[in-house]
Amino acid sequence: MADFQCGLTHAPVTPFKRDNSIDYDTYAKLLDFHIRNGAQALALPMPEGEDLSLTDTEQRRVIEFAVKQVKGRVPLIAHVSDAGTMIAVERARYAEKAGVDAIVSHPPYFWHPKPAMVVEHIVALGSAVGLPFFVCTPPVENVGTHLTADMFMQLVDRLKNLRGIVDSEMDFVFMEDIMGERKTRRAAYDLISGADYMVPPAALGGKGAFSSLAAIAPKLVKQVYELCANEDFIEARKGQEQLAVLRQTVRHPRLETGLKAALRAMGRDCGDPRPPSKSLGEVERGRISDALAALPFLSAEPRGW
Amino acid sequence: MVLPLKGVMQAPVTPLKDDFSFDASGFEKMVEFHVRHGAPAIAWPHHKAESLNLTIAERKLGAEIAVKTVAKRVPVSIFLGTLSEEDSVDIARHAEKIGADAVLAISPYVRRPTQEEIYDSVVRLGTATQLPILTYNSPWRNGEGVEFTADLVQRLIERLPNYVGMKDASFHSEKFLEISRIALNMRPGFSIIQGVEHLLAAYPLGACGSFSSSGAIAPNLCNRFYNSLVERDWETARDCQFKISRLWKLFREQYPSSLKGAMIMMGRPVGPTRSPLPTATKERIDFLKAQLEELGILQSEPHGW
Repeated sequence: MADFQCGLTHAPVTPFKRDNSIDYDTYAKLLDFHIRNGAQALALPMPEGEDLSLTDTEQRRVIEFAVKQVKGRVPLIAHVSDAGTMIAVERARYAEKAGVDAIVSHPPYFWHPKPAMVVEHIVALGSAVGLPFFVCTPPVENVGTHLTADMFMQLVDRLKNLRGIVDSEMDFVFMEDIMGERKTRRAAYDLISGADYMVPPAALGGKGAFSSLAAIAPKLVKQVYELCANEDFIEARKGQEQLAVLRQTVRHPRLETGLKAALRAMGRDCGDPRPPSKSLGEVERGRISDALAALPFLSAEPRGW
Repeated sequence: MVLPLKGVMQAPVTPLKDDFSFDASGFEKMVEFHVRHGAPAIAWPHHKAESLNLTIAERKLGAEIAVKTVAKRVPVSIFLGTLSEEDSVDIARHAEKIGADAVLAISPYVRRPTQEEIYDSVVRLGTATQLPILTYNSPWRNGEGVEFTADLVQRLIERLPNYVGMKDASFHSEKFLEISRIALNMRPGFSIIQGVEHLLAAYPLGACGSFSSSGAIAPNLCNRFYNSLVERDWETARDCQFKISRLWKLFREQYPSSLKGAMIMMGRPVGPTRSPLPTATKERIDFLKAQLEELGILQSEPHGW
C-alpha cells in the first residue's frame, strides 16, 4: 500500500441522459476512452463528476459499475465526500468492499466545522478503510472547509494509510509548507496537482496529478504531466499555458458545465449537467465550441470516442 | 525601457536610532551591505522598511541615499505606496528627479478599490513619471487588498508604455499564470517578481525573481537559490526554497520587528521598529538565534556590515 502512487489520474464527468438519469452506456465508453488515452488511474465521481448531485445509492452504484467496467486495467480511486461523517464512512467501506484501489476525500461538505472537527471527520473516514487514502483541498471554499498545512500534518500523524494530498487550492505557500514538512519529517506522502496546474506543485517536489481536462485534451495533459515527471519544468511552460487557456475556456459558469459542453464539441457527448447546475443554452454552447475551434493545439486531440 | 530585473532582489529595512529617528548613516550601510552581497536590485521602502510609518520627507531622503549609495551598480526602485495618492505622485516625480531606475505602485491603498479605481490610479502615477513603473498585486488582504487581474494588467500594458512589471503576491498557480501568459505575450521582458520569497513554484512559469525578506539575514542562501534555478538544479532549489520559507515564517511575525531583531543579533544594528509595530524583545531575539543556528544560517551567513 505504501507504494501506491496515483500517477496521472483522470477524473471523468458523469454522463446523464435527457431524463437526468445516469447514462451507463456512455459512461462505459467514457471510462474506456480515458484508459485508452493515457489514464494511469481513474478517480470518480469527483466534483467534476457532479458527486454532489448524485444520491448515496447512485454514488455506490457508480463505483460498482466502474470496478466492473475498468476490470483492473488501471487502479480505481473512489471519491467519497459528504457532509455527515457516518454517511461518508459507510460509503467508503462500501467502496472498499466493491473492490476499488484507493479512497480520496474532501473535508466535510457544507458545515464549516472547526479545524479539530474536520480532522476528526477525515480521520474517521481514512481509518474506516484499509486502502490507500488521499485527501483533497476544496476546489472552492464554499463547498467545504479550508484545509491548512497544520491540519494536514495532524492527518499525517494519525492516518497510516494517508498517501497524499490532491491540491486544487493552488496556493504556493500551502504547497511549500506541505513539501518542506515532508523533507523535515522524511515522510513519504505525495503532493498531487488537482486542477491541471501541474508545474508549480511538481517544481516543489510533488508527484502525480488529477486531471479533468484530460477528457478534452488527453495528449496535452499527458505531455505536460510527463515533462513535469522528468523535471523539465521550463519546457512544460508552453503546454501548461495551453492547459490554462483550455481551463479558462471551459470553467465558466461552472467547470462541470463547461466540460460537458466541450465534450459535446469534441464528439463525445456526455449529456448536460444535472440540476441544480444549469445547462448551457445554444449561444453559450456555441461560444465554447467556437473558442475550442480557435485553439490550434486542440487539433492534435482525439475527436469522437 | 525594460530593466534587467532578475534574481532575488533585496528590499532594505529602515535603520532607526534608539529615539526612533531615521538613521541615515545606518541606512547607507544597509544598502551597501546588500549590494556588496550580490543583490541584483535594491527596492525601497517596502513594507519591510516600515514605509507607511515614515514621513514623506524621510522617504525622499532615504530614496536619495539609496540612489547615491548604489551609484548605478544595480537598479533601484522606489515604492510609491502611501495613503494619499497625492503623496504617491509627489514621490514618483521625486524618484525620477533623483535618478532612480523604476517605481513600484500599489494604489489606492486601504480602500477595497474596484478594478476601475486601480486602473485610474496606476495610469495617473504611470503618466506622472517617465520612469518604468511596476505594480504590486496584493489580493486577499483584509481591507487593503489591491488585486491586479489579468484583464487589468492587459489594459494597463495597452495604456502605459512604461508599465514594465509586477510584484506579485497572489501566490496562486491559476492567478499567476493568467497574468504571466498575457503579460509576457504582450510585453516580452515584463518582469514578474514574487512578492517575498515564494519563487520556486512560479519561476518555471515566467517569474524572473523575488523581493526577499530573508536576504537581510541570509544573502548567500538567496543567491544560491537563484543560481540553482538558473542552472535547473531543482533539488538544490527545493532545499533553498524550504529553508527560505522557514525563515519567512520566523520573520513575518509582526513584520519587520523579528527581522530587525535578528539583524541586530547578526551584528547589523538597525534599531527599533516604529509604533504601532512592536520592537523585538530579547526573548524573541534569543528564540530567533536558536532557530537560525538550527538552520545553519548563523554559521554560513555574514555577520556585521
